[in-house]
Amino acid sequence: MLVPGLRRLFHWRHLRTVLQIPLLIVSVAMILDGLLGPSLAPKNLATTLSWVHFRGALVLVLLCAGNFFCLACPFMLVRNMARRFFHPRWNWPQRLRNKWLSVGLFALILFCYEEFSLWSSPWWTAWLIVGYFLAILMVDGLFKHASFCKFVCPIGQFNFVASTISPLEVKVRDLDVCDECGTKDCIRGRRAPGPDLVVVQRGCELALFQPLKVGNMDCTFCLDCVHACPHDNIGILSRLPASELMVDPRRSGIGRFSQRTDLAALAIVFSFGALLNAFGMVSPVYALESWLAGILHVNSKAPVLGVLFGLILVLEPAVLLGLAAWLTQTSGGSRRALVPLAVRYTYGLVPLGFGMWLAHYSFHFLTGLYTVVPVAQSAAARLSWTVFGSPRWTWLGIPMRFVQPLEIGFLVLGLAGSLLIIHQLAEGDCAERPLRAFAPWAAVAVVLWVAAMWMMLQPMDMRGTFLAG
Amino acid sequence: MRTDFTLGSCQEWPSGIFIGFVCVAALLASGCRKPVAPRSDVAIEYGINPQPVLVGRAVLAVNLRDAAGAPVAGARVNLEADMSHPGMAPVFGKTREVAPGQYQGSLAFAMPGDWVVLIHVTLPDGRTLEREINVPGVAAN
Repeated sequence: MLVPGLRRLFHWRHLRTVLQIPLLIVSVAMILDGLLGPSLAPKNLATTLSWVHFRGALVLVLLCAGNFFCLACPFMLVRNMARRFFHPRWNWPQRLRNKWLSVGLFALILFCYEEFSLWSSPWWTAWLIVGYFLAILMVDGLFKHASFCKFVCPIGQFNFVASTISPLEVKVRDLDVCDECGTKDCIRGRRAPGPDLVVVQRGCELALFQPLKVGNMDCTFCLDCVHACPHDNIGILSRLPASELMVDPRRSGIGRFSQRTDLAALAIVFSFGALLNAFGMVSPVYALESWLAGILHVNSKAPVLGVLFGLILVLEPAVLLGLAAWLTQTSGGSRRALVPLAVRYTYGLVPLGFGMWLAHYSFHFLTGLYTVVPVAQSAAARLSWTVFGSPRWTWLGIPMRFVQPLEIGFLVLGLAGSLLIIHQLAEGDCAERPLRAFAPWAAVAVVLWVAAMWMMLQPMDMRGTFLAG
Repeated sequence: MRTDFTLGSCQEWPSGIFIGFVCVAALLASGCRKPVAPRSDVAIEYGINPQPVLVGRAVLAVNLRDAAGAPVAGARVNLEADMSHPGMAPVFGKTREVAPGQYQGSLAFAMPGDWVVLIHVTLPDGRTLEREINVPGVAAN
């Protein structure tokens, strides 16, 4: 970075650890409060910090900066500490070197969120955090490099897709310097002189070779490449948000977006999952669930949710994207086959999906911004730490009437971003008739946007009980 | 060539032992439960009207009885309602004693959804009690 002071900060070897330690302390506090504290979600650190503050801060940081939450990931701190004492033995299996596992886990997390009403359960939220620690220790305890980050972590996959919109990127300053570099420390790591060639600074564990790296996909902002580069030629640089979605070069460690069906599936779960996650909090969903339960003759939530998830994450994208791809092929004259065409244009929906996540999560974050204060006061009081005073339960956040215009703004910007990306893709794909290629995908984006706007304007109705009322 | 991120000499523990340790720790942690509050000798009974509960004002009647069944007069009873989702605005209400041991107040449920009502009781002797009541599925008016 060229900002004075920040460059030295980001080159500081211990920056990541310094950011991770407080988040690890907070994570432990969340686990303890979730397991031992009040069972009422608004009064518990686990639920308040997870479902109000973490989610909201995450999307806002991704919008304004980049994937800094992966930089400060407390799970990786524990993993790195554990790796000082043991070394993983195996490489991640070749057949799993794709996003299918993480796509499934991402959808599973969304499903469990609804099925177990995670937002209302400090106990289950605490166990989700514990499970995350266990999962990363097991995966990265057995497999080399950052296998958990690249192939497993659902939060990481969300961050990767969302960070394609971010204005900052870890990238090379001058490619000519890389051409002259003979050691390629950014990916191989930097080694101490001597016969043993001990690596004293690891290179990129996610297999992103900096000179050929394009964009933020799969980048955790760990800054290992920055520290490893002997020429100080890598930094956090600004860029045009979402520009990486308009191009399709061969990306180091990833390949071409247009040839990655698994990445497109991740983009679909990201974009359509945004609508699904918000849909679960508005009144009409309960009428729909009751109707589905009647049709299926069931009393439990899981089958109904399964049908809803199948409809919104599988059938709806298949119909909308398939139809748009067919129209682009027939009337736009695209020479791509149907599935590759759908794969290519799917990435155009990411800005709209991100707009939806932003609208939803920022709403809870901003309207409940100050609730962390009384919850923390209450947790401290249970430890007999009365120095923070008695909990101010009336402290809430920014009034809803100021936040709602922001939500609509995020949705409008998301639609604008998607239309821009789709237009660029259409111009590159069907140079003779770009508007005919653009129109079907623009229509899909508008349909999703209308659905998102409708949802935002519905009265909120947050229920964990099934078929109640 | 040896790849080693540690510069000092550290023992290398087999991965399996470490993972086993982690699993045992997780198993032990699964036994964690918050401490159970001792049972009180004061019974808190309640009623909410209207039924079903709708968005808007609802009247709560709270009866306090001691172990012998006698009404507990002179207590301070405050009401609080929170949504099941964190970060949403709580609502508060006070009560007044309409008869010995009988307290009446109201709460304004601000939106549809699942709510939890907390009845905060301060007894004449200074002891405090609390009771949680689930009020699921508050419907739009």
